This record gives sequence, C-alpha cells and structure tokens, in this order.
Amino acid sequence: MEVYGPRIKIGLLEEFLNLARANSLWPMTFGLACCAIEMMATTAARFDLARFGAEVFRPSPRQCDFMIVSGTITKKIAPVLKTLYDQMASPKWVLAYGNCAISGGPFVFEGQYNVIEGVDKVIPVDVYVPGCPPRPEALIEGLLKLQEKLTGVRRFPIPERRW
Amino acid sequence: MVSAKLLKDLQEMGVELQEVPYEKKGYCFDGQLEKDKLLQAVEAFDHYGYFIEDIVCVDYVENLELIYHFNHWEDPKRFSLRLRVNPEDPEVPSISPIYPGGGWHEREIHEFFGVSFKGHPNLSFLFLHPEIEYYPLRKIPVRIPEEKKKILQGKMPDLEEEAFWINMGPQHPSTHGVLRLFIKMRGEFVEEIEPVLGYMHRMQEKMAEMKSYMQYYPNTARLDYVGPLAFSMCYCGAMERLCEIEVPERAEMIRLITLELNRIASHLLWLGTYLLDLGAATPYFFAFQDREAILDILEGLTGSRLTYCYYRIGGLCEDLNDSFLKKVEEFIHRMKKNLKIYDDLVTGNAIFVARTKGIGLIDKEVARRFGLTGPNLRASGVAYDVRVSEPYAGYKFLRPKIALLEGGFCYERYLVRIKEIENSLNLLEEALKRLPDGPFRTEKKIKKPPVGDVYFATESPRGQVGIYIVSDGSEKPYRLKWRSPSFCNFISFTEIGKGMLIADAVATLGSLDLVVPEMDR
Repeated sequence: MEVYGPRIKIGLLEEFLNLARANSLWPMTFGLACCAIEMMATTAARFDLARFGAEVFRPSPRQCDFMIVSGTITKKIAPVLKTLYDQMASPKWVLAYGNCAISGGPFVFEGQYNVIEGVDKVIPVDVYVPGCPPRPEALIEGLLKLQEKLTGVRRFPIPERRW
Repeated sequence: MVSAKLLKDLQEMGVELQEVPYEKKGYCFDGQLEKDKLLQAVEAFDHYGYFIEDIVCVDYVENLELIYHFNHWEDPKRFSLRLRVNPEDPEVPSISPIYPGGGWHEREIHEFFGVSFKGHPNLSFLFLHPEIEYYPLRKIPVRIPEEKKKILQGKMPDLEEEAFWINMGPQHPSTHGVLRLFIKMRGEFVEEIEPVLGYMHRMQEKMAEMKSYMQYYPNTARLDYVGPLAFSMCYCGAMERLCEIEVPERAEMIRLITLELNRIASHLLWLGTYLLDLGAATPYFFAFQDREAILDILEGLTGSRLTYCYYRIGGLCEDLNDSFLKKVEEFIHRMKKNLKIYDDLVTGNAIFVARTKGIGLIDKEVARRFGLTGPNLRASGVAYDVRVSEPYAGYKFLRPKIALLEGGFCYERYLVRIKEIENSLNLLEEALKRLPDGPFRTEKKIKKPPVGDVYFATESPRGQVGIYIVSDGSEKPYRLKWRSPSFCNFISFTEIGKGMLIADAVATLGSLDLVVPEMDR
C-alpha cells in the first residue's frame, strides 16, 4: 500500500497546524472487541481522556481524524475497516490498540480461518499499544506518543524545551 | 411432574430415553432418536412447555451427531436428544416451524458442518466470510459447494412494495460492537429484521479443538469480556464434572464472591451504555466510576482488569489477600449508597420512562420458543435462574434471591437489573460472613480427562451460559460448544422488533444487553 506524504510544506504554519491537530484529535466511535471496553473506560470519569484533547468521539468517520482500532480484525470486518479509514478526513492517524490489532493476539493458531494478523495489513498504523487488553493508562500513553509524533515535543509530564 | 408426563408420551411414540446421573453428565435424560420421529418428539416438548437451549453438532467422522438440548422453567431437567446423520449427504427436518429459535442454531450448524435442514425458511450463512473454502468444524475437510455459500451482502430496494431496506451497522454506536442489521421499513415502522453476524467471529470452538485444555482456558474470558468470570466458571465447572474433582468449600465461596462482583460490574456497564444510547450521558460517568471500584478489587486479586484468568480446574489460582475482604465490604457500603443516586437520576426520569415504558414487549411464549434467558427473561415474569435451578460454585451453600418482575418491557428489564445489583450486594454480604477457612484448591492432579461428554451451565449477567464438551481421552477437547446467552437473546429480537418504530427498536436492542464477540464466538 502506498502512503503519500504532504506535497507542500509551509514551514512555521505547518508546525502551528500540527500543534492544533495534536491537541484536538477527533477519535471515531468504533469499538470492536474487549479493548473497546477499556477505550470506553478511558473516556469515563476516572481516566478522562478529555484532559489530553481527544474526548469527542464521533460516530461518523467523516468527522474524525483519529481511529483507535480496538479489537480483533476478522476477514469480514476488514473491508468495513478499510472503507471507514478511507472516509476519514485527512490528515488522519491510526492507533492499533491491543495485541489483536497488532498481530492477531491470542486468536492466531494453526488452522485459523478468520482472523487477519494485524491491522497494519489493511491500513497504515502510527502507534502500537500492546496488552491484552492494554490498561487505560497505556491508551493515554499511546495518545501522548502520537501527539509527540505530530509536534515533535512530548507534552506530558514536562514539555521539553525546543527553542 | 412435567418431565414424567413427557417421558410417558415419548415412550408411546417409540422414543426411549434413559435417565443418566446429573452429577456426572450435566443432563438428566438422554436418548437416541430416529430422523422421522424428530418432529413428533419436538412437538411433544413444545406441548409441555419446554424451551430450547441449543443444538450441538459433533463430527464423529463415521457419522454426524446432532444433539438437541431442552429444558423447562418450572421443572428444570435437561433433556438431550441425539440424532445420527450420514456425513455424506446430511439432511434433517428443520424444527424452526415449532421452535423458531432452533432455526437459528440450525443455521449455525448448516454453516459450520454442512448439514442441510429440510423446511428451513432461510439457510444462508450467518457468520463466515465469502472466501471460506471448507466447513470449519468438520474433522475431515469438506469443501463448501458454491451454491450453498449464500452470504447476505446488501439488500436491493423493493420497488413493488412501498417498503425500503435500511442498513444499520456494523459501525453503529448503538449496536454495541460490530453487529449488522438489515431492517425493512414501512414508513417509520420496522417490518422485518435480517441480521448479519460474524464480524467478530474469533473461532473459539475451532481453537478449543486445536489447543490443549489449559492452553484454551484463558480464551474463555475473551468470549464475554464484560462478565468473563461466568464463562471461566462454566469451563472449569465442566472440566471438574468430567474429571470428577471435588472443589474445596472455600474456593467455591470465593468463586461466588468474584462472580457476584463481576455481575454488578457488568450490569453497571450495561446501565451506562444503555442510557447513553437513549441520550443520557451523565449516568455513564457515575456507572463507570462504580465499575472502576470493582475492577480495582478484582485486579488486586486476579491481576487483570478485564479478561480474568483466575479460576483453575479444581480451585483457584491464588488465595485471597488480606485487603480483599475489607475492600469488598467498603464497596458494598458505597454501592448501597450509590444505588439511590441511580434511582434519583434514572428511574423516574420523564424522558427515560417515555422511551422505555411499554416498549419492546417480550412475552413468555416468544421467550420460550427462542430460548431467552437471564434478566431479560426474569423481566417477563419467569423465575428461571441457573444459580437456583442448577446450583454451582458457592450457590450450593447460599441461595440467591431471584429478582422478578412482570411486564416484559424495556423499563422492567432496567428495573430487574437494578434489583439484581441490590440482591447481589446482599448475597455478597452474606457470603463474606460465611467464608470458611481451608484449602483453596484440590491436591488431585489429572493429566488427561476421561472419555465422555459433559454439559455445564452457569448464569452469566446476560443469561444462561452452557458448555458441551466431548472428550476422547486426549489432551485436547474433541468438540467444545458454547451456548452463548447473547446469541439466544438476540435472535428473539428478529421477532419482537416487528411492527416497532425504528427509535424503539434501538431502545429494545440496547435493553437486551448484547455482547457481540460472545454472540459470534
């Protein structure tokens, strides 16, 4: 699969835009399996994903730019996942949450006929978060990692000095 | 007794059933059946008010065996009817005209074994993807003929009628996972529902055949991740029954405590997400906060937040730690106080009442024919609970109180679950008082289980979980079949959803408390 990077770079403006993008990610409501429950727990009161600027889960892919793939990718769901990814607004990012999304997890065995071993065989992935299921803290860490990827600066616990 | 009358009727028909020891097998009556007597026998079951639990197919290479499990609400005794079919050209009369729920189990068998059912209205594929080549659960690979591979991909608009089809899911916020429904609409009203499952089919039954008993065990928690302990318990209980292992009383009581905590956590999650479906966001935060308290307690004991692997065949992985009992006591106190908050916030809320009261009726007859179980059934006024009818774990020593309501609407299903939380809290209090000392697992060690088959049932937060294991004496199960409560509850939705407003259909679907990976297995 070919992935095209941005054709035009606008220097400082681009950096400013990335800062804005990193701090207002719009994840998609797309729960697949067990990990989706931990994803829900992350958005709830105790872990509160809103502190990191990514709490507005949208059911429509056209309003999102961040997909959390939380569960096993079966051969039946893969085309749906691809369609959803294609419909998302660009620039967009994908976080593979849990072992199933990374490599098929515990559902890979000899003679298996229904699981795709890793979501990166279907769509490009930016951040991998391992665990079965990963704890909500791990999702927050994955989100921080993605923000770091976007801006080049880790925002939490202490922002590094860049200039 | 109903079972005695039924036995007499069956005998007159020429169907001989033997009584088998329940403690060893998990079912009470067992018998071989001829193909031509099947419908007659099933009609007798229907006449005496039995409900269908599930249909299992086992491939013995020289023949395929279909096993029909029936049970009764008032006189809970499990019947298993066996039917042998020729594997070359398997054809059996369908029982779907009598038990529509059975028709859905037949569809599953058609898909995984290639048995065709004569007189079935719709034998299309439900779970598998279009590229599949062989019947997955046959022991010797058998190719699927192209003409049998009917998979619902989409629906064309019906030009002649004034009805139209809409597609709901697999990515839809109120289907709780990846469930897909084609709904035939006439104006605002639902006329027909055709589901497509299998978006989260994770080959649990195939996996069990490929792995050893203990290697497969951790995956039982990944079937129903909201109430995983009931599934772990079911698996361990079945193995204990098969190997005739006695579990120490302390282990059984700890199992009860953890199972009840898990039940409360599951009901809280349902409460939060169901109200989110109906448009109320606040209870979601309250419910999740209380749920986190339970997860903390269970994490301290088992080491994981969601997919527990705590029980062992013959006991537990570890004994309680010191702080566990104190934490549970604190939680009971906290939850009893918080139940009032839910009551104030939700029960009398005008919007909630308008969305749920008198919506989504499940009457007893529909429930029986589809094999509905769990809180959904108890909201319809049937006092059937596996914890009472077939006591397992600590329920042998402590009898839980059944939450029961007449009505069968979405509102009653909400109230039943709230009542169940309350009952569970009371049961927990009692269990803490009666927790005995002693060992937490048996010393008996078994390398391979004996040859035989066994059925075991537990009550998960969603309903009756059943497991049927056939062992051939090796270290791997020969066949393992799950009866998943969500599947049986969901299939009734295709019947009760008819004639509903589309907005009410969403409210009803949510009230059934579905977990999709458990449905798809």
